[in-house]
Amino acid sequence: MDQNSATYEGQQMYDPKGWWDTYVFSQDHKVIALQYVCVALAIGLTGMFLSLLMRMQLGFPGLFESIDAGSYYQDVTMHGMIMVIYLLTALFLGGFGNYLIPLMLGCRDMAFPFVNMLSFWMYFLSVIILVASFFVESGPTGAGWTLYPPQSILEGTPGGDGAGIILMLASLAVFIVAFTMGGLNYITTVLQSRAKGMTLMRMPLIIWCIFLATFLGLLAFPALLVGAIMLIFDRVLETSFFMPEIFKGGEVLDYGGGSPVLFQHLFWFFGHPEVYIIALPAFGIISELISVHARKNIFGYNMMVWALIAIAGIAFIVWAHHMYVAGMNPYLGFFFATTTLIIAVPTAIKVYNWVLTLWNANIKMTVPMLYCLAFLVTFLNGGLTGLFLGNVAVDVPLSDTYFVVGHFHMVMAVSPVLALFGGLYHWYPSVTGRMLDDTLGKIHFWITFVGTYLIYFPMHYIGFLGVPRRYYSNDQYDFIPQSVADLNQFITICALIVGAAQFILLYNFIKSFYKGAIAPKNPWGACTLEWQTLESPPGHGNWGEQLPVVYRWPYEYGLPEATADFVPQNVPDEQIT
Amino acid sequence: MTNYAASEKAFLGLNHAQVFVYVLMTVISILFLFITNAYLFRMNFQDWAPLPIPTLLWFNTMCLLLASIGMAWSKSGAKSQDHQKTKVGLAVAGVFAIAFVSGQTWAWQELNVGGYFLSSNPANTFFYLITALHAFHVLGGLVAWFVVTLKVFKGDATMLQSESVGLLGAYWHYMLLVWGVLFAMLITT
Repeated sequence: MDQNSATYEGQQMYDPKGWWDTYVFSQDHKVIALQYVCVALAIGLTGMFLSLLMRMQLGFPGLFESIDAGSYYQDVTMHGMIMVIYLLTALFLGGFGNYLIPLMLGCRDMAFPFVNMLSFWMYFLSVIILVASFFVESGPTGAGWTLYPPQSILEGTPGGDGAGIILMLASLAVFIVAFTMGGLNYITTVLQSRAKGMTLMRMPLIIWCIFLATFLGLLAFPALLVGAIMLIFDRVLETSFFMPEIFKGGEVLDYGGGSPVLFQHLFWFFGHPEVYIIALPAFGIISELISVHARKNIFGYNMMVWALIAIAGIAFIVWAHHMYVAGMNPYLGFFFATTTLIIAVPTAIKVYNWVLTLWNANIKMTVPMLYCLAFLVTFLNGGLTGLFLGNVAVDVPLSDTYFVVGHFHMVMAVSPVLALFGGLYHWYPSVTGRMLDDTLGKIHFWITFVGTYLIYFPMHYIGFLGVPRRYYSNDQYDFIPQSVADLNQFITICALIVGAAQFILLYNFIKSFYKGAIAPKNPWGACTLEWQTLESPPGHGNWGEQLPVVYRWPYEYGLPEATADFVPQNVPDEQIT
Repeated sequence: MTNYAASEKAFLGLNHAQVFVYVLMTVISILFLFITNAYLFRMNFQDWAPLPIPTLLWFNTMCLLLASIGMAWSKSGAKSQDHQKTKVGLAVAGVFAIAFVSGQTWAWQELNVGGYFLSSNPANTFFYLITALHAFHVLGGLVAWFVVTLKVFKGDATMLQSESVGLLGAYWHYMLLVWGVLFAMLITT
């Protein structure tokens, strides 16, 4: 089939006319990606700042008088929600997805550029609504990021009686609309707009990951939307979807008969796939980086794809392992424990394949590779404690302790963030045409990697002692020894250092943007298409007059007949030199 | 610059807009799946007192069915390049869809007058929420209908060649199907 005869024939591409069109209300996927990245990083820094406030209270109780129990819970809640939804989901799919899908698949833009632009602005609106909740009377919600009713919408919970909880739920609803617009675009683009020769099984693994993560999101977010709408009803119209009969100060409230557990089901039916919505793109970034920076083809490509599909499928039948202590039929608990352990199998396949990719490879200790290696150990660590918590009998005593906090931060906070940083270092030259400073990168890496271990590893021990999570103060409990307070101080100091170290990354970004070494066209020697554009950084329309044609898979390293140690995807056999 | 399609063959022979709309329908189905699940879960609780379903809803259902037939008429018109037939079909589809939404709001009015308020019983709340969510999606379809119909009435011949009328029709039939399932659930439980 020639290029002009395809189904999308003759559709005009969007042409920006002025500054506003080019940089603000742009429909170019690369600009939209950058907009996503900038907004997500900005709100992510806010989330990090909130976590440092929490750490100050835990490490040095009472040092800041402004942190009382209420504001502590607000910090906890907003930190969790911001990091999971507004930073990681938005950055991986909106940022990396938007930038990489058209470039890696060899098309000019997303299938629906206008809807893509709307997606970003809806996301921006959701962030504004979220931030607005900090400025309303009684502040943002402090119900915990899970927003469990009944307490999330009752007076007494911070933000529960004011507009805080309503703004939170409204912001989530708008975010879901934004995600759906973006998601439909990613799916359509991946299915429809691939360059000639780019079969599904020749797609880079990161595109597979983003594609599947998008599917997970499209199928999981409606559960949260339904939950959010019903919770707004309960809060504003005093209905009783989730609200049981409640006595307050001897008086019966207007509620009655509802089921809080129903909300938990809806929340976690979204909440668990959400873990994979974050983890899959991280897996994808690692797959790309590890192959490029170890100069070796990825081990077991087909198996990697099928493992991803398996993970995406099983991700929908494990949600209730978050609810073991909610009062569950033991057989149901057994079912969810089993599925939870089963999902470890495809995940382990991926980890083995990454390790086998490294085996006998020509490993370059670049900053992206350092992040890959850090990801592998951190993800392994976090994954192993997940096996503990997946079992009902182990989970029940550990539930709601710092062990859980340590586990999920390792597996779905630090690991994806390490992959994220690796990805930023890897693709920065493609976006800006300049290299990031290597020394600053390594300093940032070591502080972040070692620092996060010093923060989260001790939490497992604190958890074993039974110290509950989310408590504002540990003073009143005899069973908590002094050593916990000392350890908390240590963790807080580490957190402050790691927090400060992130400004090295920001400084590196800004400095390198103006003064960094000019990047060669394909600085890492990668085979994937985003490095094979005519201009670097790629211009509007990505490919000049001719779309690329793909002749091989994306990991063609060490081909005996080639002089270079890699062959780009768009080089035909007869042109290999 | 022409945004040429990529040349790897299209997925299942579908075009961009078809994939977009079909995946969107899947997402909407999931949304209604959750709400019906929540309904079936919540109805087992003691305080559940089913409300009488207004007879008007049967009339509304007929409206939605006629809207769907209008769309089918319009689609067949577009297929045979019959501008007039397409126009009539679109007009019928739009008018009856608007009649459906108006009828639904009328039904709420009736229930309210009858003392079946939104927050007085979970069955009522679910009834209002489910019908509102569905009507909201019909309204979304009407926005797309407005855009397409405007172009067709302005004499834009490309609309007859494109998939727009067919896809709009698919959404209309889909909305009818969703309503059929929801209505069946509401009257039988």
